[in-house]
Amino acid sequence: MPAWVGPVADYLAGGLRETALLALVSIAASLLVGILLGALLTLPSKPVRAVVRAYVEIWRGLPIIIILFLIFFVLPIIGVRVNTFIAAAIGLSLWGSANVAEVVRGAVQSVPRGQAEAAAALGFSWTGRMRHVLLPQAARRALPPLIGLVVNLTQQTSLAAVIGLVDILEASQRSIERLTLSGGSTHAVPILGAVLAVFFVICLPLTMLSRWYERRLH
Amino acid sequence: MPDDSGYHFDPDFIVDHLGDLGTGLLRTLAISAIGMAGALIVGALLGAISALRVPVARQLITVYVEVFRNTPLLVQIFFLYFALPETGLQLGGFTVGWLSLLLWGGAYNVENFRAGFEAVEGGYVEACRALGFPRLAAFRHVTLPIGARIALPSVTNILISVFKNSSFMVAISYPELTETAVNIVAVTFRVFEMFLAIGIVYLGLVWLMSLGARAVEGRFAIPGGH
Repeated sequence: MPAWVGPVADYLAGGLRETALLALVSIAASLLVGILLGALLTLPSKPVRAVVRAYVEIWRGLPIIIILFLIFFVLPIIGVRVNTFIAAAIGLSLWGSANVAEVVRGAVQSVPRGQAEAAAALGFSWTGRMRHVLLPQAARRALPPLIGLVVNLTQQTSLAAVIGLVDILEASQRSIERLTLSGGSTHAVPILGAVLAVFFVICLPLTMLSRWYERRLH
Repeated sequence: MPDDSGYHFDPDFIVDHLGDLGTGLLRTLAISAIGMAGALIVGALLGAISALRVPVARQLITVYVEVFRNTPLLVQIFFLYFALPETGLQLGGFTVGWLSLLLWGGAYNVENFRAGFEAVEGGYVEACRALGFPRLAAFRHVTLPIGARIALPSVTNILISVFKNSSFMVAISYPELTETAVNIVAVTFRVFEMFLAIGIVYLGLVWLMSLGARAVEGRFAIPGGH
């Protein structure tokens, strides 16, 4: 094995840890906030729905990279100091939660109307209907697209490199630059190839799981 | 918008830079248009080959689709821009821009079209074949028109994502709209104005495209639903 491989692999592993942590935090926050907002979107109250709808449309409509720039550049101006990791986590979670909310809303509304009406007739409150009748059924329909969003969020963590987080992609860029400066040869093909392979190995099983579950539903 | 840090919102600043932003927007629209058209054609063509179960070609298409769907677009862009020159293939920012969007969107659309074609009821094709249509003719006259309509909503969603993701080219410093705005911010520090301006442009165009997509979907909806 050539001498450059060892140090580069170590450096990439450090970047991968950042990537994994960012993915986990963003996925958890997106699911938590998104499921709540998705449930709110099915409320009868018009003002509540309008506010949530605005949130969903804005953060789903903007390119993710613009959201990251907004958080990264604009927060310090209004006096909030955040590092690149927090900025990336907030940006990805805004985008992710808006998308989760839309998936959850669609899934809840795909449960036949009579179910909610029957539960209401039995005296269930809105929260009771949600918890015991609608969400459990909606969860099965929402699962395949939610796994798809988890894959998507995992991949989008690479955008944090653009605002300077040393994730696996930024680590690969720095390795390539360092090798170019020291030896003249960049080794960009094997290094970026390795980054592609890492994401592929993480995402492919999840994609297959989502497809398998989707087929089982039909 | 005065605040504690003494930042003052200056709308004139946006007006002063409309020319630069306009040029950036034209580049965004150019790479998006080529990427979207290509993603549509590649998706429909390879999706059809895949649905028709052409041996070897189908397996190769699956490899293409899985590789591009299960790796980040940004890393694909970096590979095309920074790694390919090592193999003797040097591509400029514009080429990497539309090509990466085409390959990424194409992979998702292959899946969308294939799923659409395979969702067409088997009986239709069987009836067609019983009437003496060759396999390809049955595909062209029955599977294609129905399957493409089933696939339409997911296909248009991906095309809109292709447009939004053209902003990823900021990472290779190709001066499309986002990179133009970032460059102006780097020298002037007018962060609010710039990101507000391009944010509105992106949201507005995405909204227009969604309206267009819904109109097309309505026009081509299968009567009586599917």
